[in-house]
Amino acid sequence: MSYMEIPVGPQHPALKEPIRFVFKVDGEIIVDVEPRLGYAHRGIEKLAETRTYVQNIYLFERICGICSAAHTLCYVGGVEELIGVEVPYRAKYLRTIVAELNRIHSHLLWYGVLAHEIGFDTLFMYAWRDREYVLDIVEMLCGNRVLYGYNLIGGVRHDITPQIEEAMRKMIKYMRQRIKYYRKVTQEDNLIRARTQGVGMLKRRDAIELGAVGPTARASNVDMDVRRDDPYAAYGEIPFNVITYKDEDSYARTLVRIDEIEESLNIIEYALSHLPSDGILVDTRRYLVKVPIKEVVSRAEAPRGELIYYIRSNGTNKPDRIKIRTPTLANIPAVCVMLKDSYIADIPVIVASIDPCIACTDRVTLVDIRKGKVIEMSHLELIKHANEWYRRCSK
Amino acid sequence: MNLGLELVKVLVYPGLLFIIILSLIVEWIDRKIYAKAQNRIGPYHIGPKGFLQPFADLIKLLTKEDITPPHVDKLNYTIAPFTVLYLSIIGFYFIPTCAWGTSRAILAFEGDYLLVLTIFSLATLFTFLGGWGSYNRFGAIGSLRALLLVTGYEIPLFICSAAVVIDAGTLCLSKIVMVQQGFNWFIIKQPLGFALSLLACQAELERIPFDIPEAETEIVGGWLTEFSGRKLAFFRLATDIEVTLLAAFIVTLYLGGPLGPTGPSIIYFLIKLFFVVFLLSLLRSIFARFRIDQALTFFWKYIIPLSFLQIIIALAIR
Repeated sequence: MSYMEIPVGPQHPALKEPIRFVFKVDGEIIVDVEPRLGYAHRGIEKLAETRTYVQNIYLFERICGICSAAHTLCYVGGVEELIGVEVPYRAKYLRTIVAELNRIHSHLLWYGVLAHEIGFDTLFMYAWRDREYVLDIVEMLCGNRVLYGYNLIGGVRHDITPQIEEAMRKMIKYMRQRIKYYRKVTQEDNLIRARTQGVGMLKRRDAIELGAVGPTARASNVDMDVRRDDPYAAYGEIPFNVITYKDEDSYARTLVRIDEIEESLNIIEYALSHLPSDGILVDTRRYLVKVPIKEVVSRAEAPRGELIYYIRSNGTNKPDRIKIRTPTLANIPAVCVMLKDSYIADIPVIVASIDPCIACTDRVTLVDIRKGKVIEMSHLELIKHANEWYRRCSK
Repeated sequence: MNLGLELVKVLVYPGLLFIIILSLIVEWIDRKIYAKAQNRIGPYHIGPKGFLQPFADLIKLLTKEDITPPHVDKLNYTIAPFTVLYLSIIGFYFIPTCAWGTSRAILAFEGDYLLVLTIFSLATLFTFLGGWGSYNRFGAIGSLRALLLVTGYEIPLFICSAAVVIDAGTLCLSKIVMVQQGFNWFIIKQPLGFALSLLACQAELERIPFDIPEAETEIVGGWLTEFSGRKLAFFRLATDIEVTLLAAFIVTLYLGGPLGPTGPSIIYFLIKLFFVVFLLSLLRSIFARFRIDQALTFFWKYIIPLSFLQIIIALAIR
């Protein structure tokens, strides 16, 4: 029996970024899903090899506009481990504050997007209005709304002033009320529940097997959070809860994120009142000229889940290889499982429920079209292949 | 018979021109209220408070290139926008507005209530044909959903208005208004029917929470996907006129149409009309979207039994 095929993407109003899904549907029910990535590949990993460690901070910030703080935090953490520099405590706390502000605005943005996907535009506008408040605070502290340029190798760029601290506390107070309201809306609005409960089920076993990360995994009752499991910045010293839900559906993924905003507010409040008073930056310039040959793996909990940076140095001021595993890439197999056996009308909700960030995710795979085979190449093989190919072309 | 006056009635006031301008004003009110509810500003730049924005949108779309994709079913694709527009305008001729001091609508006969209901159904049928004829996957799904939705909302709308008709004892909309003289409005006798009709109208207009046939985030534009330029302009104008027509229909049935204490009746008609539009916009801003199966369950489980209850009550207290 043949099924109707519905292509969604690479251009589709439900998708904010280009990704293509081909859905095989039987009436309104999805039988099979085939994802296709690669429309927004930017070659950032390759580009990073041509830039110095300091320049790369600003490059990696631009991988994702929403979780920019998480990317730089993860990267500078890795580089600091490479060169063996210890960051002042105050800088660690400030990094934590910015990372959590980042998480709050990312989750609010996501909440608005979810509301839009289920056709609740009023809630969408409300969530984004409140997000503006967080962005204003970030702008006060970092000077920018989206690309902060805040984390440096060895510390942070700006110190916090009493005015900013006061504004932050005011924001926390306001945001607590709003979060209470959003939780109430999500739990009590029948239509939101009808559209999210039981939609996009991801069983706990599947979540572990497919390597889901972040809120997606935590909503399937997988108790994982890099902030607690492998503390970086100041997370080791700040008490907070890891939110998990047992519902395993989009509804749980919504509640996980709402509760996480509240935890982030608690973290910021704790960090503000326990701010150490040593410096904010150590000079690392002399270490970065000749970075010792080493490799490190740095992890951070981005708003969307676990972010991994693999950095290998070659003794110069430029990295030999940097490999980035963004959380959305880890969640793509999970979303394909969620989509099976659900309705066409639920596609936007399910795809949105992992908070996809496609541009972070795109990778290149070599496929031999004539043989229909995926070619795997090691790093050195790839370089050799590239050199030979260019030599052939220039002849 | 004064032919000149009749011509003015049909073409200018309260006929064609009046209907089009009124429906564009209604769109502006709808957009403003929707924006206000969402903490936005809404139309702002053209005219005072963006008053002329709907006019500008219409004119802009009319000047755009009118593309007919090569693979479409030419007949259905071409006639659908015009027919829908034509039907909604015709429907309005039966609504009594008390312009020029007469209580009768421009067209009125015993049974025009049934004709107006038929026009509602026909308009939906032609939107289906337009979407189906555009041979687009999204269009096909959207128009199928529109037809499915009809099975949900038409029945309660018919039953609720039938309760009014039974009470009034006439099938003529102009006479239904006359029955309600002296604040004898049907909303007082049948508040349940009023509420149910509002919901059914919201579904008829394919607005949140029933905007399933054109759910932007799921199926792009639904049955509207392939339409552009003049045809899209006509569809949008038809939608505006349908909003006005359905609001006017509810005003006629439940709020005593243009009846009021003193002064020109058209003022009362407009106030009541804008009030109903306000309610419809409010409904639109406080809900999320149903899934098609959920919407049908909602109608068949709750709304249709309640409308039967309404007709029983109407028969009992008559």
